[in-house]
Amino acid sequence: MRAMVTGAARGLGAAIAGRLARDGADIVLLDVSAGVTATAERLARGVGGAGDVGGVADGQVAVGLIADVSDEIACAAAVDRAIHAIGGVDVLVNNAGIGGPDTDVAGTSLAEFRRVLDVNLTGTFLMCRAVATVMIGQGSGGAIVNMGSVFGQQGVARGAGYCASKAGVALLTHSLALELAPHDIRVNTIAPGNMATEMHWDELRSRAALAGTTFDEQVTMVRAAVPLGRHGTGDDIAGTVAWLVSPDASYVTGQTIGVNGGIWLS
Amino acid sequence: MPGRLAGRRALVTGGAGGIGLACARRLLAEGAEVVLLDRRADALSSAAGVGAAPVACDIRDPGAVAAAVTRAAGLLNGPADVLVNSAGVYRIAPLLDLTPGEWDDVLAVNLRGTFLAGRAVAAALIAAGRPGAIVNISSTAGLVADAVEPSAHYNASKAGVLALTRQMAAEWAPYGIRANAVCPGVIDTPMLRIMDDPAAGAAYLQAGVPQRRLGSADEVAAVTAFLASDDASYLTGAAVPVDGGATAI
Repeated sequence: MRAMVTGAARGLGAAIAGRLARDGADIVLLDVSAGVTATAERLARGVGGAGDVGGVADGQVAVGLIADVSDEIACAAAVDRAIHAIGGVDVLVNNAGIGGPDTDVAGTSLAEFRRVLDVNLTGTFLMCRAVATVMIGQGSGGAIVNMGSVFGQQGVARGAGYCASKAGVALLTHSLALELAPHDIRVNTIAPGNMATEMHWDELRSRAALAGTTFDEQVTMVRAAVPLGRHGTGDDIAGTVAWLVSPDASYVTGQTIGVNGGIWLS
Repeated sequence: MPGRLAGRRALVTGGAGGIGLACARRLLAEGAEVVLLDRRADALSSAAGVGAAPVACDIRDPGAVAAAVTRAAGLLNGPADVLVNSAGVYRIAPLLDLTPGEWDDVLAVNLRGTFLAGRAVAAALIAAGRPGAIVNISSTAGLVADAVEPSAHYNASKAGVLALTRQMAAEWAPYGIRANAVCPGVIDTPMLRIMDDPAAGAAYLQAGVPQRRLGSADEVAAVTAFLASDDASYLTGAAVPVDGGATAI
């Protein structure tokens, strides 16, 4: 398996890259942050300890590339370099994303609104376009997993841009699944709930400041709303990604899989 | 993934054929101990050849289900911590011809049976203080209507299974029991009717299924095994279509 994972320097993306590597993939990690190089090196060496993303076996490749997925040229260049590094692409995981500005609609600048759509939605489109073209040329099928969100399935006050971007990802996925099915390329969305990531903690800090509560109170409130009683982890998402890109999901395409601890239910 | 379900104890209802049997095979291959429940004793004994223990049970009967779940716990040396509710019947009848008796018969197996087995297994797990995973086999018929093969009773039963699954997930999450549903589309099993007319079936696959082929019971079993495993540790209350993209159209 030859895989590309975007937004892979830390958090969910690093966990996903680690899992795919442990499952035997040669892997290219993309991130706008230069930290991606170190993450890839740790993966390639199989170093444990803090921020452990798991190791690869001898002969497996893990390469980090710095790229902004909202940049058309950068995406095309990254895919070219990935083909050079791992010989092709069978799996693409579009995990790169940013949180919304957490502002009310009157106070949201056009630049802020465009930025979240540029990274979360347009970035996903650009990477899908570049990689689908490669996969069709290879003629051996493939699997694409796009990261949506439970907040692409329900709205959030002060979250219009983020929610719209993630809802867009789900329908982008839907459409590409129909279009690419004849090429045996499956395209699915994962919709995480509240995850134990820096992006989520930033959001809770912002909410705490706004509501005049402590950060810990915000964490407790979120947790109380999750039937499974905890935040999700990178491993929770990585397990679902590993399944979706494997032959175990060979008849699953065009779907949104909620990995949210049951948050929808209450 | 060999060993992913090592040490797990699984109960598969409707395990004598089709999707249920494929699930049993898959769970066994991943290291689980498996008990098969089915009403058809003859089919059950031949299915037991795969390495699972057979227990005859009419899934509609609360007493029989309770006894079978207890018997399974004995065979498995502990309460089942994986339940696959696969027992189901499929009938075709336009609404205007559908009799109340036929309605009740389908609901009794597909919906009441899923409730009875789910409740019995969850009660045993909760009493033992152990976590578990329930996978209910629903259908894309629980998500969309079908004018070609009218089967309101089947569709309603499978939509009911989705609501039941969400409620199981919400009520039992505090006990560490996850509940999810799989929604198979057109799967190549003895239950499938769409290919009875090969030309019409082929036309349907071309127009209605983006992947342009039938699914296999093994493909449904692979998704079921994932949902039962710790790879799905934060997934509960979900309905996962396995339909070649049919519901994405």
